[in-house]
Amino acid sequence: MTDRIRRLKRYVITDKAHHALRFAPRDEYALAETFAQSGMGDMRRAGRRLIAMLEAETPVLLPEERIVLTRRNPTVFSMFTRAELERLPKERRIHERGDVSNIAVDYTRLLNVGLEAKREEIERCRAAFEAAGERDRADYLAMEAEILNAVMALCDRYRALAEREGRADVAACLAQVPRHAPRTFPEALQMFRILHFTMWLGGNYHNTVGRLDRFLYPYYRADRDAGRLTRETALEWLEEFFISFNRDSDLYPGMQQGDNGQSVMLGGRNPDGTSAFNELSELCLTASLELSLIDPKMNLRVDRDTPLDVFTMGTRLTKQGLGFPQYANDDVVIPALLAYGYAPEDAYNYGVAACWEFIVPGTGMDVPNIAAVSLAAAAQQAVADHLRQAEDFPALMAAVKANIRAQADDCMEHTKGLYLFPAPFLSLMMEGCVENGMDVSLGCRYNNYGIHGTGVATAADSLAAVRKYVYGDHSVGKEELLQALLRNFEGDGDLLAKLRFDAPKMGNNDPEVDDIAVELLDAFADSLEGKKNDRGGVFRAGTGTAMYYLWHAVTLPATADGRKRGEAIAANYSPSVFARVKGPVSILQSFSKAHLGRVCNGGPLTLELHDTLFRNEEAIQKVAVLVKSYMERGGHQLQLNAVNRDTLYEAQRHPQEHRNLIVRVWGWSGYFVELDKEYQDHIIKRMELSL
Amino acid sequence: MNGSLFDIKECAIHDGPGLRQTVFLKGCPLRCSWCHNPEGLSARPELMVSPNGCTGCGRCREVCPLGGTMVGFGKPPGCTACGLCVTACPQRIRRVAGETVSAETLAARLMENADYYAGTGGGVTFSGGEPLMQADFVLETLRLLGPAVHTALETSGYGDENAFAAFTDAFNLILFDLKSMDDDIHRRYTGVSNRLILKNARRLCRGNTPFIFRIPVIPGVNDTEAHYRAVAELAQGAPSLLRVELLPYHITAGAKYALLQKAYQPGFETDRPIHIDLDIFTRHGIRSCVL
Repeated sequence: MTDRIRRLKRYVITDKAHHALRFAPRDEYALAETFAQSGMGDMRRAGRRLIAMLEAETPVLLPEERIVLTRRNPTVFSMFTRAELERLPKERRIHERGDVSNIAVDYTRLLNVGLEAKREEIERCRAAFEAAGERDRADYLAMEAEILNAVMALCDRYRALAEREGRADVAACLAQVPRHAPRTFPEALQMFRILHFTMWLGGNYHNTVGRLDRFLYPYYRADRDAGRLTRETALEWLEEFFISFNRDSDLYPGMQQGDNGQSVMLGGRNPDGTSAFNELSELCLTASLELSLIDPKMNLRVDRDTPLDVFTMGTRLTKQGLGFPQYANDDVVIPALLAYGYAPEDAYNYGVAACWEFIVPGTGMDVPNIAAVSLAAAAQQAVADHLRQAEDFPALMAAVKANIRAQADDCMEHTKGLYLFPAPFLSLMMEGCVENGMDVSLGCRYNNYGIHGTGVATAADSLAAVRKYVYGDHSVGKEELLQALLRNFEGDGDLLAKLRFDAPKMGNNDPEVDDIAVELLDAFADSLEGKKNDRGGVFRAGTGTAMYYLWHAVTLPATADGRKRGEAIAANYSPSVFARVKGPVSILQSFSKAHLGRVCNGGPLTLELHDTLFRNEEAIQKVAVLVKSYMERGGHQLQLNAVNRDTLYEAQRHPQEHRNLIVRVWGWSGYFVELDKEYQDHIIKRMELSL
Repeated sequence: MNGSLFDIKECAIHDGPGLRQTVFLKGCPLRCSWCHNPEGLSARPELMVSPNGCTGCGRCREVCPLGGTMVGFGKPPGCTACGLCVTACPQRIRRVAGETVSAETLAARLMENADYYAGTGGGVTFSGGEPLMQADFVLETLRLLGPAVHTALETSGYGDENAFAAFTDAFNLILFDLKSMDDDIHRRYTGVSNRLILKNARRLCRGNTPFIFRIPVIPGVNDTEAHYRAVAELAQGAPSLLRVELLPYHITAGAKYALLQKAYQPGFETDRPIHIDLDIFTRHGIRSCVL
């Protein structure tokens, strides 16, 4: 890391000195009130709002920076009034905040052509629609052109300031981009910054980054080959670029503080079988390692031919304790995406959503986190309602599967009539939107919905305990178990201990329980297979949980795995939080048995590894071997945390001294001391059961 | 043939090449004052009680044949590790360290995952305690595992010369501890003379079994130039020496003593900075590293 990068990092990350440059917050709804008064439609509102946000920005150059654009207006204007926002969910199916989020745009649609050429293309399409009497489409495209003008106007204001302040390099760069296509790697980075900055201004969130090492590689390669950049100077540019992702991230809208979804996907297999991992992929890992910042989050695509060196580079980054890279296995994911109906060029081009869902750039208006099935509740209810009558274990399993199906049907039913707020700027980077004069919020080539499955370990453990003790050795009576569950184990200490500690647990490579998990996930996949949503897309089952693991746990009564009412269930695809597992190898073995290509919406196995495991380079290589072995066994996605429990306790006691301690929460990494105590405790609890 | 062990740890990464299963044998003739596996010292099974999570329900005391003498809810004097309290405890915070298994059973358990570990370039490591105390059992297990499993030994080197000779023939790799080259210091901190250990160490240096010398670096005890130099001189020119590994002492070594209701009294300044010097080894043409 150069001294300049060190100073930039201190300025932006440690001192947050640029926060002082921000204007006072403004009324979030004032603009929407004027929209409502004039009876403006939603498309127009989305465009006007973004233009207002762009116009509200006043340029500022931070000391020594070369990649510019810093937010000064901290308020994201709403496109709807407060009253409208209250009314909307009652009338239509609204997902999260309503804005288009969590998709992957194809940056090259703007990055490689420049905004002026894009505006000309828009103008041609607009004229054609106008001539054909397609008024709405023509109006929509006129607004798109206005947006591009507003982006270019803001950048012109930046350029003028750079000239006034004698920052010739910045001014020269802005003379080229965003108006024209970038010619060099640094110009491409600045162009990306402008595009991403604008996406956030438009109220869209979980704005993923995608396959940076692919779409920026031509610029990098050309500069290296022409001798304009060395490896070191390119790394410096990349590090400044990465810092820019953290500059305004506290102002980004989202579902959780720190959950920005600025996910990068590196590497991968090309359709011709060659590897896409290149010098730039390696530089991205290096930059991320040197900077140790939450954003952007690194994901790494691997496959059976990925050399151990790549896993080793990834493991060095894991050692930093940021909770990434997260690995995705092309050998499982690509066939799964093909089976979901993605064309080969899209399946091979997949990236990752804010957390873990597999999405494709430029063509997917998928909503990969639209609902969740509680596998734990399906098992719990089957035990509560059917254990008495079920003559044998298969009869009980049939009831569990019926519950999964019923929940899945319910989830699918509730996806109907989805209304997404228009996203005109994102639309410029999505297939067909300009050509058809239609906003991406209305759909794209793929309109698939992902449904998470929570608590698979809790469900499998519960059912394994029932099979072993109720139907197997008859050491627990049906009534005895049912009454204890109803009483939340009050006064049933012996039974609770037997179920909680002695029963088979997923994560120990124990077929007594792992086989049940396989069956549960198959049933989950079966329940969605062949179904279509009302946008024509399919439903994808997944092993992720998002926040649902917390919500589902709260309402879940006591379960037969010895879990009391309200106790946590595991996040994502992981052993139960109180399961005593033998170690990471057993976990990998247990969690690679399911047909993961059938539940491939996304959702990683999470491994917590004590930081002493990463002691030296030789040890790091061994952890890399461990990671590789999960992929070789057919694992789909893996996320590792290097944690030291003592550090976490210490951080709870003295938060001021641990402001920079980063931990992986579920699909994202955040500063530990900024998390609610509930999350902190959950993370510590997870640690206590790991190595 | 039966042996006694207190743990089989999966995915060990500091006990030889690749990922390994490490078998911890119970019983050790040394009493190193920095020992971090105190349940490995006695050959007999022992009750371990976790201090966290006890609700004071008293079930342990109810079932304990010596219940009347139990202090709090810990371990009664004269505890025979009968295990009655282990299954009685609703919190499952009690366990017996020490399991008697046959060589057949142990080998079968290790073979379950042998292919996985072999795929990582790893294998099985025997540690302890001191494996030399159960030499016949260990050798029988090795025979059952067969030549396809890579095997490593972690040893203090304190044991019968013939047994050690048999080990050097049977194992693929030997990790040999050198705690102090000074017999007085050795006696003071480990309770035994280093005479036998050095004899076995010299055999190792002459032989052709790949080996590593390991120094548990204890502040104020052996973190001296004199010790490093003596190890380097002993190891110099040994054809099968791979390297010397230094394992700096860490305060968490004392973590398990409370579980055995033993006091951790290391007898040296635990927080004194550790002096490390790898140059001495380099000067003697020996590879070395800090773990």
